Amino acid sequence: MAAPHPLLEIESLNIGFASYGQTTQVLHDVHLKVEAGQRAAVIGESGSGKSVTMKAVIGTLPHPAARVLGGSIRFDGQELLSLSRRERERLKGTDISIVHQDPLTSFNPVFTIGEHLDDVLKFADRRLGTSSDARSRRTRIEATLRQAQLKEPERVLRSYPFQLSGGMRQRVLIAMALMHRPKLLIADEPGTALDVTTQDEILRLLNQLVSEEQLTLLMVTHNLAVVRQTSDYVYVMQSGRIVEHGPVREIFTAPRMPYTQRLLEAIPPLYGPKVQHRQAHSETVVITANDVVKRFEAPRRFLEPAKAPVLAVRNASLSICKGDVFGIAGESGSGKSTIARMIVGLMPLSGGTIEIDGRSIADWRKDPAFRRRIQIVYQNPASSLNPRRTVAETLAVPLAFAGAVPKDKRAERIRELLALVELPANFASRYPHQLSGGQKQRVAIARALAVDPEIVVLDEPTSSLDVSVQKTVIDLLLGLRDRLGLTYLFISHDLSLMRNFCNRIAVMFRGEICEQGPTDTVFDDPQHPYTRALIASIPVLTDAEEQAKPQVTLEERRAVLASTIQ
Amino acid sequence: MSVETETLSPAEELSNFGRARRRLLSNPAAIIGIVIVVSIVLAAILAPYIAPYPNHAGSFVDFRHRHNAPSLEHLLGTDNVGRDILSRILFGYRVSLLLVVGVLGVAVPAGVLFGLLAGYFGGIVETGIMWLTNVMLAVPPLVMALAITAVLTPDLIHSMIAITVLWWTWHCRLVYRVVKSVVAEDFVEAARVAGASHLHILFREILPNCAAAISVKTTLDAGFVILFGASLSFLGLGVQPPTPDLGTMVAAGAQFLPEMWWEAVMPGFAVLYAILGFNLLGDGLRDMLDVEI
Amino acid sequence: MIGYHLLRRTIGFAFILLGLSVVIFTVARVVPGDPARMALGPLATNEQVAQLQEEMGFSKPAVVQYFDYIGGVLRGNLGKSLLTSRAVADDIAQALPATLELVLFTLFLIAVLAVPLGVLAARRHNSWIDNASRLVSLLGVVTPGFVFAILLQLLVSHFHFFPLTGRLSTDIRFTPDITHLALVDSLLKGRFDAFADALSHIFLPALALSAAGIGQIMRITRSSMLDVARRDHVETLRSFGVPDYVITLKYMLRLAAVAPLTILGLEFASLIGNAFIVEMVFAWPGIASYGLRAILSKDINAVMAVVLTSGLFFVVANLIVDLLVGLIDPRLRARG
Repeated sequence: MAAPHPLLEIESLNIGFASYGQTTQVLHDVHLKVEAGQRAAVIGESGSGKSVTMKAVIGTLPHPAARVLGGSIRFDGQELLSLSRRERERLKGTDISIVHQDPLTSFNPVFTIGEHLDDVLKFADRRLGTSSDARSRRTRIEATLRQAQLKEPERVLRSYPFQLSGGMRQRVLIAMALMHRPKLLIADEPGTALDVTTQDEILRLLNQLVSEEQLTLLMVTHNLAVVRQTSDYVYVMQSGRIVEHGPVREIFTAPRMPYTQRLLEAIPPLYGPKVQHRQAHSETVVITANDVVKRFEAPRRFLEPAKAPVLAVRNASLSICKGDVFGIAGESGSGKSTIARMIVGLMPLSGGTIEIDGRSIADWRKDPAFRRRIQIVYQNPASSLNPRRTVAETLAVPLAFAGAVPKDKRAERIRELLALVELPANFASRYPHQLSGGQKQRVAIARALAVDPEIVVLDEPTSSLDVSVQKTVIDLLLGLRDRLGLTYLFISHDLSLMRNFCNRIAVMFRGEICEQGPTDTVFDDPQHPYTRALIASIPVLTDAEEQAKPQVTLEERRAVLASTIQ
Repeated sequence: MSVETETLSPAEELSNFGRARRRLLSNPAAIIGIVIVVSIVLAAILAPYIAPYPNHAGSFVDFRHRHNAPSLEHLLGTDNVGRDILSRILFGYRVSLLLVVGVLGVAVPAGVLFGLLAGYFGGIVETGIMWLTNVMLAVPPLVMALAITAVLTPDLIHSMIAITVLWWTWHCRLVYRVVKSVVAEDFVEAARVAGASHLHILFREILPNCAAAISVKTTLDAGFVILFGASLSFLGLGVQPPTPDLGTMVAAGAQFLPEMWWEAVMPGFAVLYAILGFNLLGDGLRDMLDVEI
Repeated sequence: MIGYHLLRRTIGFAFILLGLSVVIFTVARVVPGDPARMALGPLATNEQVAQLQEEMGFSKPAVVQYFDYIGGVLRGNLGKSLLTSRAVADDIAQALPATLELVLFTLFLIAVLAVPLGVLAARRHNSWIDNASRLVSLLGVVTPGFVFAILLQLLVSHFHFFPLTGRLSTDIRFTPDITHLALVDSLLKGRFDAFADALSHIFLPALALSAAGIGQIMRITRSSMLDVARRDHVETLRSFGVPDYVITLKYMLRLAAVAPLTILGLEFASLIGNAFIVEMVFAWPGIASYGLRAILSKDINAVMAVVLTSGLFFVVANLIVDLLVGLIDPRLRARG
């Protein structure tokens, strides 16, 4: 039985935001159609307008800043924009539901999960005209939580948000959206804030629920690989416009718009002919770490029993050769950043040794000469650049201290550095807030290179940038390595990026290096079950890559990921 | 040159200062604040020239004109010995501003320095300094100042000392809080990796990030120091007569309430006017610099 | 966990009180000048001064004097008042209930006026009601306590709504001797005439004392509510159609209450400070009136006792705030 009209139909939707008396248009003639039973996706980078579109459908546009300047949103044949407030509210959570993105901030920290769910259900029932008692609601809530694969619903309901893991909270958010089987389920970047293995679990769950319950799904995401995994039809958004749309297969194989092509190209391949294989440059070892241990003592608090120390890094050993791009992969809390900080000499070791050029860094790390050997680029340039200092002032610091460059030579060197990272010389007088994210990261790279180090630690240097910018920064880093003969230690959770960027890779899992070797070997024949599970959960763009991934059974996955999932 | 898809809006291109200034000047409350503060500073500086009866500032007595209600001759009336209240208020602002400069001139640098040290170095330095500020916080400042000025002889200098002893702790706590959040930012560690000295990190990297909060707090404080000094002298433990002081004048006038209302109310409003000015200006600065105090 | 937290805070506060006692002792004894001479005035003979010095233990070293004093304090002996010639502890015990009553009633006024107005101002952000409440809070913050007190007195002297001074009318013949709080005792005894009389007496001083607090708490409640309104979890509930009043009054308010509560605790010290002015203007027979007389007559023992008592007030108030914040926020309970 074909429906006479699409479930959701947006036509020439124009929305503006008013601030200080000026209206800035953020959506331009957006059109979008979702048939009942379809799995559609809207993809776009931050600021593309995908969130605003979604909020307009749900009816949570910020009031009174957002103005609908024209167009229509029809849901099930009914015009949403002309509905009364009351009628609009009636649809929320029952006809149209949403799975929210960030599982930590999506709950009020001072109320239990149960309180949230009960209120959502209670008022939805009330709007539908059915009254329900607390007991029956509780039964329904627990049933839905089980559906979302939460094993102990009673414990979950009693818990405060901070007492659950990110994966569990994300499952609760899914359950929340499914309490009244919605006609349209909107998913706003589900799992994006979580580790890749957990995200994979969440997407599997969502797929399973959508097919079991025959839901209509509108996925909102910035990740093309997620689109492939969860949708059949995709809309590409850029600067408030739908620039291209079509069946997923079509868009992925033959994108028409340059923007879509750029998005596709920006995602590094995991397997196949497009993978870039990097070779080792030499056999000269520059960094060796032997049985490195880092223990964080829990802060001892007066009158309380001492807590067990946290072992952030256990017996990690690695050696990095001159000219290597050595990757340390791992999820949050795996200890990868701790190792990096110890190698840069920012943190004393609790055990083991680290040598650079055959010399222990234990005492050396306090020496300015050490700073000229090894430098670091941080993940978030918004935090690593002082907002009160201009680019020139920032670059002058390593020159003045570690480099001991005389004052009159500094301006010259700053010009050189800016040219090196491909920024115009007049950027020297700019403050960080006058730079884009990618430009800031270039300044941070220039600062690290200021004193001509031979080794640079890159701590997730691209993960706070949009995908299209990521690529330009990576290309810059590769170019610099070739020109300056640098050795990189690259810390990241993004395995597809590391696959194409590193020539050697170490995988960290709960403080231990569980596997290391040449990148090709690790990806083609992963040995450790965690490495296998990790690689298997990376979202990819093509079926061929999907097939090439290590095959991991459900039991295998559960065995390694038990702690991450529940 | 590289091509990046990110672009900056014109608003971001505008320099920080220009944008901030425009935000301040588009805020009517802040402009009123500026006007009030400027008028008070001018009144204090020019008191001998603009006061209608400059000689009434001291121990002048004219019993024929005592308790005169406000009139064209005496715009704000006269007090119990026939002195022009407007003239005495103008001179009173001199005492108030002197107090502000004396107190904040010592308390702010001291508080900022201790706050920087406590927040940056942590450990025993932090424990010690913060314990001291907590002790100071626990005692009602007015009570403490009263006790101190009572043991010493009540006069302007002693009020200044008593208030300063208590005031630095507020700046210390504020700067400490800001430093704690700034130290967690990567740029502090990045400076360390660049080999920067503690001195450089403290004063060139961290302090500039506290400047906005300090200036807002100092502006707001100027009003409260005036209030504090006036409260002390209202209770008879501040500046002693015949020096014209706003609090003393209110206390003296209060004896003739409710009939001779102007004698207490006019100097009272003069205090309010000053606090209002510094508050509006401080709030305007706060919005302009976008800081939390 | 919350137990550990409170215990630790209690000990912390005890250390603060200890520090405070050292500070005030130093101010009283080490600062230049002879306390005995100051207390007796310039007309007293040298013998009289020497005798008083002996009596007050001034001949011993300062450290010994301090430990003698602290030992006395811990046993409830605050020394003798030079002003009333009675034990300072008795004087304090007599004056304390009046101040306690005034402060508690002031807190009540702040809570019932400032919090709802702050919530309303945040809800109707940038409306006339927000602007009006901002004006009220600005006036509350910038009006000196003594000016507000005088204006209230002027107003009442014209309209005679409320008595101008004192705690109870003399013709009421009522002694609060159960809790020593007139408002509570009159209700306990069923003396509604006394309750009305006490209420009419306390209203003006409490209003004058609450002005600054109302302004401040209203401002903080407003900005805290606005801050919470921007959080994702508010949007979560909104997107599921949970009614606005439930989101505002249940979910947002509880989270937003932490900031004004904390500020209220910190501002407690200045509230007690302002009580000195208010009690003086309204002739309220409390500890501040007593303290002020003691200060003016340089009655050192009494001054020290008043400072320590107000420090104790502050510490207890902040312990209660800690407890409340702990009850609100489960993360604090877990962290301990």
